[in-house]
Amino acid sequence: MSAQKKRNFQIEAFKHRVVVDPKYAEKTWKILEHAIHEIYNHNASGLSFEELYRNAYNMVLHKFGEKLYSGLVSTMTSHLKEIAKSIEAAQGGLFLEELNRKWAEHNKALQMIRDILMYMDRTFIPSTHKTPVHELGLNLWRDHIIHSSKIQKRLQDTLLELVQHERTGEVINRGLMRNVIKMLMDLGSSVYQEDFEKPFLEVSADFYRLESQQFIECCDCGDYLKKAEKRLNEEIERVSHYLDAKSESKITNVVEKEMIESHMHRLVHMENSGLVNMIVDDKYEDLGRMYNLFRRVPTGLALIRDVMTSHIRETGKQLVTDPERLKDPVDFVQRLLDEKDKHDKIISSALNNDKTFQNALNSSFEYFINLNPRSPEFISLFVDDKLRKGLKGVTEEDVEIVLDKVMMLFRYLQEKDVFEKYYKQHLAKRLLSGKTVSDDAERSLIVKLKTECGYQFTSKLEGMFTDMKTSQDTMHGFHAAVGAEIADGPSLTVQVLTTGSWPTQSVTTCNLPPEILGVCDKFKTYYLGTHTGRRLSWQTNMGTADLKATFGKGQKHELNVSTYQMCILMLFNNADRLSYKEIEQATEIPASDLKRCLQSLACVKGKNVLRKEPMSKDIAEDDAFYFNDKFSSKFYKVKIGTVVAQKESEPEKQETRQRVEEDRKPQIEAAIVRIMKSRRVLDHNNIVAEVTKQLNSRFLPNPVVIKKRIESLIEREFLERDKTDRKLYRYLA
Amino acid sequence: MNKLGFARKEKVQQFMSVTGASEKVAIQTMKTHDWHLEGALEAFYNEGNAKVVQEKNRWELLFNKYKDPKADMIMADGISNLCNDLQVEPQDIVMLVLSWHFQAETICEFSKQEFVGGVQSLEIDSLEKFKKKIPFLRSELKDEDTFREIYNFAFDWAKEKGQKSLALETAIGLWQLFFAEMQWPLVEHWCQFLEDRNMKVISRDVWLQLLEFAKTVDSTLSNYDAEGAWPCLLDEFVEYLIEKGHCAKKSDE
Repeated sequence: MSAQKKRNFQIEAFKHRVVVDPKYAEKTWKILEHAIHEIYNHNASGLSFEELYRNAYNMVLHKFGEKLYSGLVSTMTSHLKEIAKSIEAAQGGLFLEELNRKWAEHNKALQMIRDILMYMDRTFIPSTHKTPVHELGLNLWRDHIIHSSKIQKRLQDTLLELVQHERTGEVINRGLMRNVIKMLMDLGSSVYQEDFEKPFLEVSADFYRLESQQFIECCDCGDYLKKAEKRLNEEIERVSHYLDAKSESKITNVVEKEMIESHMHRLVHMENSGLVNMIVDDKYEDLGRMYNLFRRVPTGLALIRDVMTSHIRETGKQLVTDPERLKDPVDFVQRLLDEKDKHDKIISSALNNDKTFQNALNSSFEYFINLNPRSPEFISLFVDDKLRKGLKGVTEEDVEIVLDKVMMLFRYLQEKDVFEKYYKQHLAKRLLSGKTVSDDAERSLIVKLKTECGYQFTSKLEGMFTDMKTSQDTMHGFHAAVGAEIADGPSLTVQVLTTGSWPTQSVTTCNLPPEILGVCDKFKTYYLGTHTGRRLSWQTNMGTADLKATFGKGQKHELNVSTYQMCILMLFNNADRLSYKEIEQATEIPASDLKRCLQSLACVKGKNVLRKEPMSKDIAEDDAFYFNDKFSSKFYKVKIGTVVAQKESEPEKQETRQRVEEDRKPQIEAAIVRIMKSRRVLDHNNIVAEVTKQLNSRFLPNPVVIKKRIESLIEREFLERDKTDRKLYRYLA
Repeated sequence: MNKLGFARKEKVQQFMSVTGASEKVAIQTMKTHDWHLEGALEAFYNEGNAKVVQEKNRWELLFNKYKDPKADMIMADGISNLCNDLQVEPQDIVMLVLSWHFQAETICEFSKQEFVGGVQSLEIDSLEKFKKKIPFLRSELKDEDTFREIYNFAFDWAKEKGQKSLALETAIGLWQLFFAEMQWPLVEHWCQFLEDRNMKVISRDVWLQLLEFAKTVDSTLSNYDAEGAWPCLLDEFVEYLIEKGHCAKKSDE
């Protein structure tokens, strides 16, 4: 119902015609102009803002907006011109302060003026696309103050001068600086950039160019880096105190470029203090600083890495090729480990554990370890030494650490199969002589090798352990079965070794003394009785024996000798004098071994249970030997070693090498056939690449050898060349 | 004939041996009789192919002229007589081409089948025709593919039966024949190299690849590619040449 009534209610326009005084606009503007003057003269307290607002409102309403706006521009301009004069007049240090003060005042005035002219700001200006009052005020300030010919240059110089003062260590009014810089930023980023930032960066570049030149002439690398780091931090701090945050990257770029990039080569290679010296002297702090600074420039880290790599390679190369070092394999490997530890520590403590550096280190080690073809042998000897004696009394954890380190070196080896060969030999010696310190350590290493290279790599090694264990059981069984019969004869311990699992030894037999032979035959009968279809052959070159001997004055000794030596000594039970020929005939020990045995029995002081005529160092074919009645020793047990070389002799080395090469052939062929079986057709280069990849974990096959194997397979019609493209091979099956 | 299946091939062979007709005729007749041997034979004789029979006799006459008295084949003496009659040297490469045409299995020997089949396919029925064929046979070497075929054929032809490789001496003799024809400038170096290396035998791969090598790699070795999957012996030959100063080592690419 009420809606019904309201429908009839009409609103009519207010038709009151305002009579405009023709001088109205002029008059009103005068009032406003006066007010603006007062504002600039700090007399604003006497003004009525309500009245002024209304006047401005009316002017806009009565279409005098244009007049109001242009009036504002000209009034403000005239005031700013005065302000400029007063700023220009300020002397020396007061200049900035005056500028700052006037700026604050201008801002304040601008605020009030904008309030008064709010209506114009909201309606007239947007519709006529003019600059809003506040912005207008800033623009006018920019044009008449900052860009005034007498101020612009002076302002710039003053600011840069202050920065320069601060750089040389003086204290400046940072608050004032901040305000002035803030003003420039308020006036627009282009003003800040053009009037301050650009010249600032230019001056900085000059400054640092000069300074770095001075530093580099008189400082060593470490000091220089300290200074550079300090400068860099100062600049960052400066930015945070009074510059635009966006300037940080720009100014640091300048410092990086001038202080680091343009000198980095010289720094790295600086004599007596460069990168290499830092590495040599383990200067973690300096290295860390260099890393952090150089990281900032594009090729910085690559430079450090390259120099470091070539240094490691160079020292490594010296290490592995130094003939002095080759005399002591254990020391050789220990040095490699020390070298690795040293660089690991550098990378972890100074280089932020950088992956690229770790890779560079690894590739360097791989490079130089393989420069020496004997590295695999030496690493195995190192393990041998550790497992024989080095790890005695060491805790399990420490053993693990040593073994892990060895594995790390092992990983660098390209010819892992050579290592396997040697390891097998050394392990055999350890097992047979019962010299291994800890079974657990042995097994632990084998497990590690297995995880690294797979089952096939260690199967034979594991077979050796199994043999040892089985032999023990066999011996128990043997003693239980025939123990009573042989109780008064010599006690015999036999290790039955599976052919194939153990390093191949040329079988060299010798005539065993009848006492021993009897027991041996008993064992043989026993063993073959329990295991039919097997064959036993005695490896007399690998055994040891303990002999009880009574000497001239009745003193008793237990002699720990090799089987060969035992055979020789037993002969003296029935004779006091034997010639070389007689011994040779009786024992049939190969001449070279016989000479070595005799040498160790007769020529080593303190262990000379035999006497030789004539007395000389070497064994000759017409020498005669006597039982040495006068032998004496402080110890009850006397271990008589054979004169054996720990390292391989030259021909042995050749032989091992050849065996390795022979063993590789079927492996390479197998790899080729495997690849071709799945690929059917493949070109030469790809086969070589694939084969290399497949065999990588064991050794690095020589491309020429691969090629020869391919040819052999073609010959045997496993492969053929493609009829049209001769580089392509086809699998035939 | 190679396009035929095994069974058909045999039938053609039988047909040829019975009638002495040429391969072409044999295949033709067999085809028209749907590969029935009896039918084809009957038709062949019915159509009055007496002439062919006669021809066959002429080929046999030719064969018998050189036949070894002790065996049913032509041996070294026979071949040397043949050469005399044809007025060519026994070492002439043309004899190799002939052997290739005859599909001879063994060097210095032609079995009756090889010889008769060969002269048939070359359409030779008299010594005169034989002589006239010689320039044609020689010209065949100009064709690259035929040359390669003859070259490849030579390996099996010349090697000791039952062996996989070719004796070096024989190989060198053959190479000198072939590469004189092809004018490979390195042939003397190659032979010298093999003798220096004390090689005893040449494998099939090396034999086949050498022709490719001679064809593709120029005499200064400028386009030799060490990665080019050449047999090792050829790689070593290149090294040998460089060592001897015959060729400059290629600068690293």
